Amino acid sequence: MKNMTVDIGGLVIKNPVMTASGTFGYGEEYAPYLDLERLGAIIVKGLSLKPKAGNYPPRIIETPSGMLNAIGLENVGVESFIKEKLPPLKELAVPIIANIFGETVEDYMKVAEILSEAGGVSGLEINISCPNIKKGGIDFGTDPDLAFEVTRSVKKVTHLPVIAKLTPNVTDITLIAKSVVDAGADAVSLINTLKGMSVDIVKRIPHLKNITGGLSGPAVKPVALRMVWEVARSISAPVIGLGGIMNAEDALEFLIAGATAVQVGTANFIDPGATMNILDGIDRYMEEKGIDNITDLTGSLRT
Amino acid sequence: MKTVTTGKILFNRQLFKEYHLMGLKVPAYFQESLPGQFVMLRVPGRNFPFLGRPLSIYSLYMHQTDSVIEILYRIAGKGTDLFAHMKKDDDVSVLGPLGRAFDVQAEGKHIILVAGGVGVAPLSFLAEHYGRLFPDDTLHISCYLGAKSSDTLIGLERLEHLCSHVKISTDDGSAGYHGLITDLFDRDFLSSPHEDAFIYACGPHQMMKSLAHILERHPCECQVSVEERMACGIGTCLGCTVVIKSDKTKQKFVRACKEGPVFDIKAIDWD
Repeated sequence: MKNMTVDIGGLVIKNPVMTASGTFGYGEEYAPYLDLERLGAIIVKGLSLKPKAGNYPPRIIETPSGMLNAIGLENVGVESFIKEKLPPLKELAVPIIANIFGETVEDYMKVAEILSEAGGVSGLEINISCPNIKKGGIDFGTDPDLAFEVTRSVKKVTHLPVIAKLTPNVTDITLIAKSVVDAGADAVSLINTLKGMSVDIVKRIPHLKNITGGLSGPAVKPVALRMVWEVARSISAPVIGLGGIMNAEDALEFLIAGATAVQVGTANFIDPGATMNILDGIDRYMEEKGIDNITDLTGSLRT
Repeated sequence: MKTVTTGKILFNRQLFKEYHLMGLKVPAYFQESLPGQFVMLRVPGRNFPFLGRPLSIYSLYMHQTDSVIEILYRIAGKGTDLFAHMKKDDDVSVLGPLGRAFDVQAEGKHIILVAGGVGVAPLSFLAEHYGRLFPDDTLHISCYLGAKSSDTLIGLERLEHLCSHVKISTDDGSAGYHGLITDLFDRDFLSSPHEDAFIYACGPHQMMKSLAHILERHPCECQVSVEERMACGIGTCLGCTVVIKSDKTKQKFVRACKEGPVFDIKAIDWD
């Protein structure tokens, strides 16, 4: 294997392939399908202060080259996660990154604090694509000031590296990226899902009970890639690219466009072993091209 | 390590209109498959249809030295339509067997199957499985099979071979009882209730909802297999939510792929 070590804002991982939050459960579900310890990092399902039941079904619908989901951030809550899900993960020689979200800045801070004290968590990814109920339901991630506030507040209560996960549902994603980096984010990850919808023309109802949902899969890849390229040029912090990565070629596109690491999401649903194929494919590519360090690839796009 | 594997199509034929039967050569570990379990089936190398489709196993056997599973499916959209266009010797990707199986009963129980349409698939596998467990016909299996018309009584011949009795109904009266299969079941069950009966059902939502309503008046047990849209089939996408009655006032969400697809009929909130 070539040297695939990357540094994500202080979190050094053995390779750049991680799992995207919400597509990999709490890790355990995938244990029968792959060697979890080969992953660069595992990012677990988004955690909130209290357990969340999620939305009424139907929650998913297939769309051309992708899928829409409106799961509603169903999760066991941070306390159950620490008690039940984290102990087996701690035994693995792979960094665990906890994805967190909340409805208020205080929620984010409490979850971050609890996870930082729990031990066994190597980093926090803050999902800022959530409505702030104290600010009229505006998504934290669509307003540079709110994004700044939530990121800085989380940074204050944790010693762990903080990754801000950005939503693509904004006019200029670089503004949000700059804002969270100014607030102290150690890295950014993008993109979260693109807001979309799908209609059942027979019944004339939305396919999703929630009406709208988040689009993921190959359909979003060109958009994700463009945004990663834009953000990587505008900030100095590392960028983690995600959005429709199905294979090694897709992952390499993101790295070349400026990503330091990648996350694999929807591909895990199609093939639970997708991350391993991607990892092997990146290794083969480096071998063929005579690239010794993966960091030489990051941002190597010739324009 | 479990993995997505390749299934080679041994045959893929139309039974009637949108109903098709596919035979797949699969790895030996599929011999562990149990009735009620499903596979995620997908045509590889395509981005649309994109996700795998969850399909119940209809039959499981050995052919010479190969493990074979049969999948009975109805064209319901783009994914299943693509399956119908696949040819002998084509490869499909298969993940499985997945999900919770039916509970198998000991000798002495009277087994009753209630099937509607393509819901016949997991129940036929169950009857086949019981036949292997009790090869000397010591177990009594009755089957109720409902369809729109006589043409769509898919899998009838096989059920007649696997069960002691098969009663049929059609919506248009072209064969058997003229009406809903649950009405026929209700009438029979009231006239000769079986306290030792164990019922298994699979079919359209309305059929299972009616059955749940009928069984409120009877103490016997019933397991159903439900169908939901899925992305992963292994419990992580949380897309295949089923609403469960956890107590009188509260509802709870569970996953069809992991806690199901087999559930106690009384546990599900059919509304």
